[in-house]
Amino acid sequence: MEPKYVSLEMRDYIVSMGAETVNWCMQCGLCTNLCPWRLVPGETSEKFNIRHMQRLGQMGMEGFEDEHILFACTTCSMCQSNCPRGVKIVDNVRAMRASIVGAGMAPANLRPILGSAHANGNPWSGPREKRTAWQQGLEVPTFGPDTEYFLFVCCHSCYDPRSTKVAQSIVKLLKAAGISFGVIGNEESCCGESMRKLGDEELFQKLAQSNIELFNAKGVKKIITTSPHCLWTFTQEYPELGGRWEVIHYTQVLAQCVQDGRLKLSKDGSKKVAFHDPCYLGRHSGVFDAPRQLLENAVDGGTVELSRSRELSLCCAGGGGRIWAEVPMGERFGELRVTDAIDKGAKVLATACPYCMNMLIDACNSLGKQEQLEIAELSELLAANL
Amino acid sequence: MSDVTNGHRSILVVGGGMSGLSAALEAAEAGLPVYIVEKEPYLGGRVARMNKYFPKLCPPSCGLEINFRRIKNNPLVRFFTMAEVTKISGVPGDFDVTVKLAPRYVNEKCTGCGVCAEAAETEISNPFDYGLSKVKAAYLPHEFAFPMRYVLAPQVIGTAEAEKIRAACPYGAVDLDMQEKTFDLKVGAVVWATGWKPYDASKIAYYGAGRFQNVISNVVMERLASFNGPTQGRIVRPSDGAAVQKVAFVQCAGSRDENHLPYCSGICCLASLKQATYVLDQNPEASVTIFYIDIRALGKYEDFYAKVQKDARVRFVKGKAGEISENAETGQVTVQVEDQETGSILREGFDLVVLATGMVPSTADDKVPAEVTYDENGFLLPAQPSAGIVPAGCVKRPVDVASSVQDATAAALKAIQAMVRR
Repeated sequence: MEPKYVSLEMRDYIVSMGAETVNWCMQCGLCTNLCPWRLVPGETSEKFNIRHMQRLGQMGMEGFEDEHILFACTTCSMCQSNCPRGVKIVDNVRAMRASIVGAGMAPANLRPILGSAHANGNPWSGPREKRTAWQQGLEVPTFGPDTEYFLFVCCHSCYDPRSTKVAQSIVKLLKAAGISFGVIGNEESCCGESMRKLGDEELFQKLAQSNIELFNAKGVKKIITTSPHCLWTFTQEYPELGGRWEVIHYTQVLAQCVQDGRLKLSKDGSKKVAFHDPCYLGRHSGVFDAPRQLLENAVDGGTVELSRSRELSLCCAGGGGRIWAEVPMGERFGELRVTDAIDKGAKVLATACPYCMNMLIDACNSLGKQEQLEIAELSELLAANL
Repeated sequence: MSDVTNGHRSILVVGGGMSGLSAALEAAEAGLPVYIVEKEPYLGGRVARMNKYFPKLCPPSCGLEINFRRIKNNPLVRFFTMAEVTKISGVPGDFDVTVKLAPRYVNEKCTGCGVCAEAAETEISNPFDYGLSKVKAAYLPHEFAFPMRYVLAPQVIGTAEAEKIRAACPYGAVDLDMQEKTFDLKVGAVVWATGWKPYDASKIAYYGAGRFQNVISNVVMERLASFNGPTQGRIVRPSDGAAVQKVAFVQCAGSRDENHLPYCSGICCLASLKQATYVLDQNPEASVTIFYIDIRALGKYEDFYAKVQKDARVRFVKGKAGEISENAETGQVTVQVEDQETGSILREGFDLVVLATGMVPSTADDKVPAEVTYDENGFLLPAQPSAGIVPAGCVKRPVDVASSVQDATAAALKAIQAMVRR
């Protein structure tokens, strides 16, 4: 066996990048066993062991910088939520990535993504002036001094043609509910959640500062997000940078409106619907009931729970920057979700996150199950029943 | 009742388990009048449901019998079953205590003959077996119950069946008009020894307890192994009653886990080592795997650990078990774990998985009706604001039976001191 070198300097550097809890780990291995990678075969599954990766971080040892290891984690928080020592595993992953990406060694496939976020304020290579193109044909109010909520639309739903329907549906629903809301427009930048998870701390700080200055200058007090990722970073990461607003996800606002009788949904369709909990809405933010309440109010064919749901929900694999990863067929978590939904008799698999929608559609297509299962964003189902 | 003895020199012991019995008897044998108040219809507590003690592997019935005889022989000990303390006020040497007595519907004329149970038709889930078996609505809490007296389940009261049960009793022991009642006691000190509850393993969602029949907790294992248990002592799979060949023990099921019980429950390692011997004694061909973070066998218990470790049929795997899954057709349960000695991921099927669940103090939910102080997990702190309220046993910290007895003896002395130091 070759000797291995321990570097306390490297360890301290990783800790200083945000892995404050890496030394709390007692090497029990629960994280590795609850990791969604255990559910699929393949090279990444064999190489990536989150417990071992953190051990390398603890010791400042080489080996974690392999792309199969360092960038495998989807930051789904299944391990972190159950860690017996309360180790902030997702922060540790982020810090270990930052120690490599910060030194200018981002993997080649991620460079265009990070570059676009730098240049255009979005990771999708969309021109900044096209950020509001999704609004065409819809009268979307502009946020002003008298507007109650600022609607922050995820970059994915601004630029991805399929995802723009999510933004449009949410606008229709908020209007129907009589909510006072508006968007700011082209000056908005990506929330930066995934950029930070990829380890580009500098880029995240730049995006966050730009948003905080913009939102505060416009007098924003309350925010509705379309994506759970924006929700999470706005509530968990922005406050210490000076961004302090009341932030909620669209499903929470709408569920409240349905409860108050402000939003009336007609029950429609005889298809059975299963709900996929987005990690950043569920485990990360604790919102499990709002989307289910909405579904119950809009679906006639009944709902069904997937075998892994709520706190134990299985990740779509799109978090932590994995939405940009190339994963061979047969190794995609989304395929397990699609198969499970079909096994459970669902005709529609709904979710409440643009990334999840994206990943589940890919999985459904790669399995060739489009005829058997429709993937929908919850807002689309609701808007169809207005 | 408060005037039967010198109230200011008597001690109230709350809880009739091993700690409570010990504290009461030690104080009574030092010459003080003692009252025991027990919630269940029998004395003996959790210990009565155990198969064997570690490390000597002797049955607890023996020690309990001795204690019950000490009670019978000592006129200074009075006890109330199906009773709870609802209020404590006053100062050391002069406490006023309110006790609530639930109706048993069977009076002291009962001889334990069992004719009432024959007359009863309704069956209820047997709490003594953690619901693994059923008993008639007129039942003896367990075979060696002390007091040896039947109980009527409240479900049948007011029905024709209850009348039938009453009529069947040849001794006139069934009293359907019994009501809940409360009474006061004047005592000089209180020993609080209400013990513990097993951690609800179904809260550890990824282990599947409550969903998978062949994933059981260690307290259930004690019942399976006990000859007065639901299977007459045969350790079998709850799913189909088949004998077990491969058994896994999952240590720290809830303990040492900030999401569940942040503390080490102290006894579960020894309990699993002991239960491994149950399995192998019954079936020499069986094998046992123990998944652990660390084996905590302190002091002299190290010898017991070493003894079990020597047995080639027992395998120790260092690693906290992750997800447990079930094959719904065969009932086999698969444990997934990362072996920390090799770094490899194991997926192994077992007939039965025993979760080594930890101890939760009863005081986490059922509070003392007086001003007392708890730690963040609901354990009573050793030093209380009133010197006259003395915690003993597992309400203070998770301990084994021997330590409970020692702690209870010390508590009896503290209670006596609290009265004479006025």
